[in-house]
Amino acid sequence: MSANALEIRQLVKRYPNGMEALKSVSLEIGSGEFFGLLGPNGAGKSTLIHCTTGLARPTSGEIRVFGQDAVNNYREAREAVGLAPQEINLDMFLTLEETLDLHGGYFGMTKAARRERSAELLEAFSLTEKRHERTRTLSGGMKRRLTLARALMHRPRLLILDEPTAGVDIELRLELWQYIERINREGTTVLLTTHYLEEAERLCDRIAFINHGQIAAQGTIDELAAQYGVSGLEDAYLELVGRQELSRAHLDGGEL
Amino acid sequence: MSSGQIRLLSLVRREVNRFMKIKRQTIGGPLLETFLYISVFGAALGSRIHHVHGYRYIVFVIPGLIMMAWATNAFANNSSSILQQKFTRSIDDQLSSPASPLELLTGFTLGGFIRGFGVALLTFIVSVVLVSLPVREPLVLIPSLVLVGIFFAQFGVLVGVRAEQFDDVALYQTFMLQPLIFLGGVFYSASLLPQPFQTLTHFNPVYYMIALVRYGFIGYRETNIAWSFVLLGLATVALCAWNFRIFIRGRYLRS
Repeated sequence: MSANALEIRQLVKRYPNGMEALKSVSLEIGSGEFFGLLGPNGAGKSTLIHCTTGLARPTSGEIRVFGQDAVNNYREAREAVGLAPQEINLDMFLTLEETLDLHGGYFGMTKAARRERSAELLEAFSLTEKRHERTRTLSGGMKRRLTLARALMHRPRLLILDEPTAGVDIELRLELWQYIERINREGTTVLLTTHYLEEAERLCDRIAFINHGQIAAQGTIDELAAQYGVSGLEDAYLELVGRQELSRAHLDGGEL
Repeated sequence: MSSGQIRLLSLVRREVNRFMKIKRQTIGGPLLETFLYISVFGAALGSRIHHVHGYRYIVFVIPGLIMMAWATNAFANNSSSILQQKFTRSIDDQLSSPASPLELLTGFTLGGFIRGFGVALLTFIVSVVLVSLPVREPLVLIPSLVLVGIFFAQFGVLVGVRAEQFDDVALYQTFMLQPLIFLGGVFYSASLLPQPFQTLTHFNPVYYMIALVRYGFIGYRETNIAWSFVLLGLATVALCAWNFRIFIRGRYLRS
């Protein structure tokens, strides 16, 4: 039996100022799954991702990526993970091609493999014509596409997307959805955080709600709805954040 | 080539790529500055001060200028590059990669080291052509310059990693590095200073670096060369160890 793509056990992250961003979080994502992590701002989504990718140091707990320790013996775990962060963090000194090439280099890819893979990704994301331009000259949508291409450069088995469609137009969002769905079908496990419930509904096999640094509930959309005694994901989410008065059912009842 | 070698090479390529893309600022500017020093202190002032300890004034000054070029460029490159990457969070691409703390530290260090070497080498070539700068003690000169380059490249990494704003980098560069270099005897011999300045100069670590480099070039011995070399080596090792500890713990880089 293959190991889970991601296993998190009793993960605690406490910042030096005493703020506990994650309070004993445990989570399992199966290999090949499309998993959604939903929660309000400040719930702990990005902290969980940062702990998984080495950008934050967990206070305690265990993180395993395909069975490999991602905290203490991180090399193999990090090789398996691709991260497209919430904020665009492209290197302004680099061209598109250099961005992908150097990323591949950081992951130990050979020159020939880097050249082939970057050409493939630039083509897939319609960025080939811009490949010699510096990243700072790109539009917001192009930067978002390049960020995703960079995350995929080293062929990660677990792709982590932290609000990948925040601020992009509908056309690009649909385009990105199709691409992500395709790579998930091809076997890549995806962990997605998003504030767009329709995005989670369309893409995710299972979803976890996180709030105040704790996993509040997890399961399929039907299981989450049943757990909160509501009819859909939106209402379940509103139950999570305690804003039931915003529910469509509530509004339709004329109780404004 | 192993994955580790590819990783390290990529980290260094990124740093070299950055300063080469803004070479007017990172190479041209420092070169012009050094040549202005040579012009002012060599041609203008040198016509009044003919010899220092039996050496032509310009020949006495240039070794210090070469060391200064390597030191300031190594420092400036690494401190500003790391801070810029922290600001834009583009450093996360390296931090979330499988690169080890040692690979990351070495990659960042070599960026500044190479830029400093480049500017120092160009200055040296011009100096050899213009004023026939000798190289009397290459076995002292080369390791001394290499240690100076590593020391200031590491110092740049330390400041860049700890800095939260560009003002923090300027603080070290303007109020610490420049005074230490200028007062370390680049443009004069400390033995010509009146007391208590002569004694105070002996507490300036850069004084020993300049003395080593000057000895390497022109053979003028102002300090105990062996002790100066050991002190410089120990200081460099201590700074490397400090930075390595920071990178292992992830402090200032990983939240």
